[in-house]
Amino acid sequence: MLALIAPAVLVLVLFQIVPILTGANASFRDWTLHDPKRTWVGLANYIHVLRDAEFLGIVLPNTFGFMAASVAGSLILGLLIALMLNRRFPGRTIVQSFVLLPLMVAPVIAAIMIRWMFNDQFGVVNAALEGVGFAPISWLTQRWTAFFVILLTDVWLWTPWFALVLLAGLQSLPAEPFEAAQIDAASAWRTFRFITLPMLRPVMVVCIVIRAIDAFRTFDIVWTISGGGPARGTELFSIYAYVESFQFLNLARGSAAAVIGAVIIVVFALLLYRVLNRFVEVSK
Amino acid sequence: MTAIAVASAQSRDFFSVLAPGGKRVLFALAAVAVCLLFAFPVFWLALTSLRPGTGVYYVHRGTEFTVDNFHEVLSQEIVLKALFNSFIISTLATVLSLGVTMTSGYMLSRFKGPIPNAWFSLIYIFRCVPYVAWVLPLYFVTQRLNIFDTYWGLLLPHVAVHICFFSWIMKGFFDGIDPSMEYAAMIDGCSRWGAFWRVAVPSAVPGLTALAILCWLYTWNEFLFALILTSHETPILTVVMAQFVHELGMEWHLMSATAVIALVPALIVTLFGQKYVIRGLKV
Repeated sequence: MLALIAPAVLVLVLFQIVPILTGANASFRDWTLHDPKRTWVGLANYIHVLRDAEFLGIVLPNTFGFMAASVAGSLILGLLIALMLNRRFPGRTIVQSFVLLPLMVAPVIAAIMIRWMFNDQFGVVNAALEGVGFAPISWLTQRWTAFFVILLTDVWLWTPWFALVLLAGLQSLPAEPFEAAQIDAASAWRTFRFITLPMLRPVMVVCIVIRAIDAFRTFDIVWTISGGGPARGTELFSIYAYVESFQFLNLARGSAAAVIGAVIIVVFALLLYRVLNRFVEVSK
Repeated sequence: MTAIAVASAQSRDFFSVLAPGGKRVLFALAAVAVCLLFAFPVFWLALTSLRPGTGVYYVHRGTEFTVDNFHEVLSQEIVLKALFNSFIISTLATVLSLGVTMTSGYMLSRFKGPIPNAWFSLIYIFRCVPYVAWVLPLYFVTQRLNIFDTYWGLLLPHVAVHICFFSWIMKGFFDGIDPSMEYAAMIDGCSRWGAFWRVAVPSAVPGLTALAILCWLYTWNEFLFALILTSHETPILTVVMAQFVHELGMEWHLMSATAVIALVPALIVTLFGQKYVIRGLKV
């Protein structure tokens, strides 16, 4: 039994747990350039991060807002697309191949591309806006429009995943309840509301949990599209940790922020685990 | 249930009254809209890659097209090297991750007791830890182990990324397979290992295929780990690509050409694997 997990444990310990502990160790030290001894400073870095108005007032709300909006957006769109693909219509496989496109595109490419499309001078979006007679918008220089562009990218990237998993879920549902509903002449909406949705709920819950945890740690698309700007307005917590470590060259403070984020998400994940267990028996 | 059904049977269908056939048109429009939504950024990328360097800032104006960008990109040694490296790393990472997590998922599915429980809690928790919390110290760890900027130095962290999630998914695959076949094999004289390898694994092949495809795509497209854990010795495609619009100025046409080249293998893998992915993605 132990031999079965030994290789996995070995790699996990060496390349995930040891680095995490190294980072945690750094977070208790003074890592600034003028202190080569790396003096132990206890919780000072944590207190600094937790008192930082930037972290509390902007970074945390951004992170949770992003998580909620991204999951909700891609869940709803993904569900609609899954329902569409679950029907038989000519060209279904073609539509399905189109839906798979974002899965093939590296998130960095997608992010660079969307930044390019939303460029305020040369971007195609503004050109289209001008074409229909609206004033061009400088998307990436205002907090909320930049946030919108980032969200759009994330939803674009992840909707296909939701759509495919939900489609697989839809296709594995038993046919009898739907036949019964048809015999009773239930409308499409009622069939969806009272049969499809409740039967699909376990799959949806698993999707939401997996995606929520991933959305919390989003880094590359935000970094590529806005770099956390304008004026740190779109910083998520992983950007904050990265900026503290590499731009302000304070690895200890960055690590402290990373540990705080990790603790928040692990607590959150444990709460979600109880929700998850209620719908699907994951641990059994 | 009957009350609901009767009520809905009485209400007339909105579309059949106002616009016969309208529902189908609306459905077709929605299907087209979905295609456009997902295809447009990729289409735009391809278009940008075909524009000469001078026309790239106004992609939507002008009609000169050229394949010079592809020539230029493919004549750069670093791009070829990166293509090769990315291919090797993705393939090896897929083989290793699947090999390592197959047994781990099987163990989670078939054994009960404190050790499987502890292992499950461990992978659930470590799956949630944000990448920033370990990719930065990982830089120091790989340097200490003398594997920074080598295949192993990127490969093993990639396997580590997949261990938690894949073990969980694999457990799901094996949960869906009736263990009585394995017990029958063991009664007939098969060892536990033989039962796993000859009975359980072949039944899990559809799921494994889907996971292999997703793993390959994920590694092929991964950026953050490649950015931090590699340098000049082991260039990785996504990093090289991003450099075209970061360090070497704003060369959108070259970036797009490289991105299109990077898309081709992913496209092939996805199109051929489409049906496995869709079947295998049941959670």
